[in-house]
Amino acid sequence: MKSKQNREPLNWAKYFSPVFIILITLLFTSILIFATGDHPLTAYKFMIVGAFGNSAALISTINKAVPISLAGFAVALSSKAGIFNIGIEGQLIFGAIGSTIAGLFIVGLPAYIHLPVCLVTGMLFGALYALLPAALYVKKGVNLLVIHIMMNSIAGLLLTYVVMGPLMGDNKYVSATNIVQDTAKLPYLITTPNKMTIGVLISIFVACILWFYIHKTVSGYMLRACGDNSIAARFSGIKVKYYQTGALLASGALAGLAGSVEVLGTFQRLYDNFSPGYGFDGIPIAMLASGNPFGILMGAFLFGALRVGSINMQAKAGISSEIVSVIQGVLITLIASQYIIRFASSRIFNRRKKEAQE
Amino acid sequence: MDIAVQMSGITMKFPGITANDNVDFEVRRGEVHALVGENGAGKTTLMNILYGLYIPVAGQIKIGGKEQRFQSAIDAIRAGIGMVHQHFMLIPSLSIADNIVLGEEPRQGIVYRRDHAAEKINELCAEYDMKLDPKALVAQVSLGTQQRVEIMKALYRQAEIIILDEPTSVLTPQEIDELGAMLRKLKSMGKTIIIITHKLKEVIDFSDRVTVLRHGKIVSTVKTGETSADEVTNMMVGRSVQLGGHKTDITLGKAVLCVNNVSYHDGRIEKLKDISLTVYAGEILGIAGIDNSGQKELTEIIAGIRKLDQGEITLDGKSIKSVSVSDIKEKGVGFIPQDRQESGLALGMSVKENLMMGYQRKPLYRYKKIFLSKAGMTKEAQEKIENFDIRPDSPDVLARTLSGGNQQKVVVAREISNASRLIVADQPSRGIDIGAIELIHQKLVDARNSGMAVLLISLELDEVMLLSDRIAVIHDGRLMDILDAKEATREQIGLLMAGAKTKGGGGCEKQTK
Amino acid sequence: MNNTIITMIISILRLAVPVIITSMGTMFSVRAGVMNLGADGMMISGAFCAVLGSYITGNPWIGILFGILGGMAIGAIHSLVCVEFGGVQNISGLGLNMLATGLTCFFCRSLYSSSISPAVAAIQYSRFLERIPGIGYILVQFSPIFYITILLFLICCFFVDKTVTGLRMNAVGFNPQMVETAGVNVWKLKHISVLICGSLAGLSGAYLSIGQLNTFMEGMTMGRGMLAVIAVQMGNQQPRRILLIALIFGFFDALQLQLQINNVGIAPELIQTIPYIAGIAALALSTTKAAAARKMQPYLKNKYKF
Repeated sequence: MKSKQNREPLNWAKYFSPVFIILITLLFTSILIFATGDHPLTAYKFMIVGAFGNSAALISTINKAVPISLAGFAVALSSKAGIFNIGIEGQLIFGAIGSTIAGLFIVGLPAYIHLPVCLVTGMLFGALYALLPAALYVKKGVNLLVIHIMMNSIAGLLLTYVVMGPLMGDNKYVSATNIVQDTAKLPYLITTPNKMTIGVLISIFVACILWFYIHKTVSGYMLRACGDNSIAARFSGIKVKYYQTGALLASGALAGLAGSVEVLGTFQRLYDNFSPGYGFDGIPIAMLASGNPFGILMGAFLFGALRVGSINMQAKAGISSEIVSVIQGVLITLIASQYIIRFASSRIFNRRKKEAQE
Repeated sequence: MDIAVQMSGITMKFPGITANDNVDFEVRRGEVHALVGENGAGKTTLMNILYGLYIPVAGQIKIGGKEQRFQSAIDAIRAGIGMVHQHFMLIPSLSIADNIVLGEEPRQGIVYRRDHAAEKINELCAEYDMKLDPKALVAQVSLGTQQRVEIMKALYRQAEIIILDEPTSVLTPQEIDELGAMLRKLKSMGKTIIIITHKLKEVIDFSDRVTVLRHGKIVSTVKTGETSADEVTNMMVGRSVQLGGHKTDITLGKAVLCVNNVSYHDGRIEKLKDISLTVYAGEILGIAGIDNSGQKELTEIIAGIRKLDQGEITLDGKSIKSVSVSDIKEKGVGFIPQDRQESGLALGMSVKENLMMGYQRKPLYRYKKIFLSKAGMTKEAQEKIENFDIRPDSPDVLARTLSGGNQQKVVVAREISNASRLIVADQPSRGIDIGAIELIHQKLVDARNSGMAVLLISLELDEVMLLSDRIAVIHDGRLMDILDAKEATREQIGLLMAGAKTKGGGGCEKQTK
Repeated sequence: MNNTIITMIISILRLAVPVIITSMGTMFSVRAGVMNLGADGMMISGAFCAVLGSYITGNPWIGILFGILGGMAIGAIHSLVCVEFGGVQNISGLGLNMLATGLTCFFCRSLYSSSISPAVAAIQYSRFLERIPGIGYILVQFSPIFYITILLFLICCFFVDKTVTGLRMNAVGFNPQMVETAGVNVWKLKHISVLICGSLAGLSGAYLSIGQLNTFMEGMTMGRGMLAVIAVQMGNQQPRRILLIALIFGFFDALQLQLQINNVGIAPELIQTIPYIAGIAALALSTTKAAAARKMQPYLKNKYKF
């Protein structure tokens, strides 16, 4: 997630890359829509309207962006420590389960205590789910990628089991738990024209704290050193294993928070398959933003818009909302190719600069 | 006179630097030609061009009189050129045979005939008087053997021109002699050999002619027999250079570092065998020895990165054998590790961030305990940049963009500035330009003059003899002897390095000085 | 008694086939230094294209061909991004999963107005083996693709151990610079490895749609692509070990199906976690020293360097 270049490309090139990526994605998607007989521009119009058309839509988009951004923060944090955490999806799910349990079964607490307790429980569950992989990786050098992939699968299965089994709600027709107690629900900031919880504030708050921590604290500096060169960090006396473990656990906690906010805010109950892959959205967003929390907020907003807008697009233009997966897929694959895009654009801009100087 | 290689007007540019500037280089058939220059002069770049790995911006190459344009290494190999790189291009988990034949495997259609490969290698070994076991895994053989595998790669491809890049940096003295014999044998069979080196001893011992490069330009080409080591140095560097710093006369202080009977295993290999030595305040104790004799392990144990198996280490009388790395730093020990890029710097971070790595807890870097003080960081960084002449002089550039010498200066600046009792320097002048070496020598000597204890590791005997007050010799994990630098001779040290007559060093109790 | 064991074995083998084929493919890719998290994408692409081919021509073997090409197409994108352009392998893989999933669903709904395709000609059984005395009735129950899988495994073993290209592909994953200085085209080797990977994953997907069933369903890979990746890594990119691990995964898959059928009283989801838990336990308890790591970073051509 770091730019491995000697020379920072011209500033222009930095902005060129995301613009280029979005344009190519739109182009590809347009061709696809065209090929099935629909008009791409109409489709996009409905998508944009669906995402930003009115304040209700905008609120929907922001709501969707919240868990994605928190997942992005989780990825960014562990990446700064040099670890690729692909297990956020599982940690997210496990955290959601934890906060649901706290929301359903811890009684007698007033809202201003119960809610934080639920959120913290969610974070603890998320961190807990990251503990075993972290321990195996740091102590035994086990392949973290493989373990996380397995943990993700287990989490998904666990969710289904929990929701259809021990925590099954009273309504047997829905694969979900009961609604959590009122004291556990995320309070609303706005209720008309659409409901928006304080989830958005939590997201912004975490972004600020994360940014401060990584760039402004001594501990954050040591984390970054571990991420850049763990050997040099170790030689300089930084306790690399603590930081790597800590980063993974904190990353899991943030993922758990993402799951909790989604459960306690959007649905107020735990649904089977409630996450359409928020964890996996976090990864390319974190990369696109180079780990910058505020860039992640923007990226999450974009991905949220995609998800929300596609619903309207399906309803009004009849285009299957699967197209969102296509859009995301193209976006993410292009994000993976960032290096060459930056390289090519740097070449183009440098040549223009040279020509201008002659 | 048959010209095997003729490079004319070769120019090669990388972002921000001209590595080769209009270079004319000529090698006669059947000779051993040394290409010398200090680090960064452009020698390896020139040979990489000859081997087809780089395409020059300008210039032409003629092999045996015929002009060639190399698009890649295959073209160069086809023209009869083979190259043995400084860092071996081998795959440890594959066998010697696989490594040698890869790219031109004996085959039957798509099938790889390993048996034929082994046969062919045995034949070639007999022809060139080498001993290699085709079936052995590269991971299991010595560095000297690995180098022979590399040479065999070239011979297998019927190379007539063989380029060796810094061939002796990883060899023991015996292995260097064996290499010399091998080169003579190859020469007698009509091969043309080019050696890239910065070691004058190799130049004098092995070569027929010498070409000197400086800052990417040819200085001159001379017959080895008609020149001297000093003359070559002069050509390499172009100015008078004051290595070794200015030592002042100071009286030795108390013992700062005591290493007593330290032993250490790395996996199954015994790396340190009962080592004892003492470093006093106000002296430089140099450790001479060939590479991989245990120096790295010793320095890392002192710095607290590895933990010894047996023995004791004390700093100012107190044991540090179980103390953490950061605590040892706090006690005033600075450590310049062997590989600056791997263990000394965070290349993706700025110079000022690197200058505080390991010392970030010091109050001047902090603001209200948990925050970084940007002002403190920048001020400190600027001081060090000025003091140690780090270029470019901006504290905010990425460490990656610095040259090797400047990167090393960052590490040295950080460690020497923060140390108060002991500095452990492991090969501080490896792979850097002479200007940087000059400065680093000066700073180490300044530290010594101000009363610090300095432990210096170096593979360059000249450097050890120049800088040290006392010289310890290490061989195969054992401390052979400690000599007074003023009286020690090269021969003495050489013999000890090769393993002759042990006297052992002295821990704090034994030393009578 | 005998019958249950035979049924169990048939079940294990059938269920293991997709993971075996995909992991053979992923093995080539990883051996050459390219991680393939996009295996699921390649498989679903193969599954859909196979059904498409069989639908258009009525011939399941053309379907298989289409399936292979479908997987290869996704593999080609992965190769372009990772090998040629030095992209981030894991992100490319995840992106391609999403892309392939989206594209196949999109086309399925556009063409067939449903998330399930209509039934097409398939090759679920090997009728031509029925006549073999004694065991004919068993052999017929396997799709011809099963037998192709056995052949495939043997070919892979041969290729990896005994061929020149196999040697070079292996070397390039450990030290691409070494291979380049030996005068071999590193990128061609890597491209071919990833394309083989895509093709085999496509074949595996084709098996899922017209070898096991006769239709395409959204999400029918069920995470088997990831299982293949796990098998490759746990098996250290060695074909025989990978086969063993894939068979063990198949065993657990068959076991959980059997337990569900027998209604053992444990929730099916929990049973389905068993292979993963076993995998984690195996990794946690393994004492073998880590084998030399492959270089999974991009290896850039000089022309793409700053």
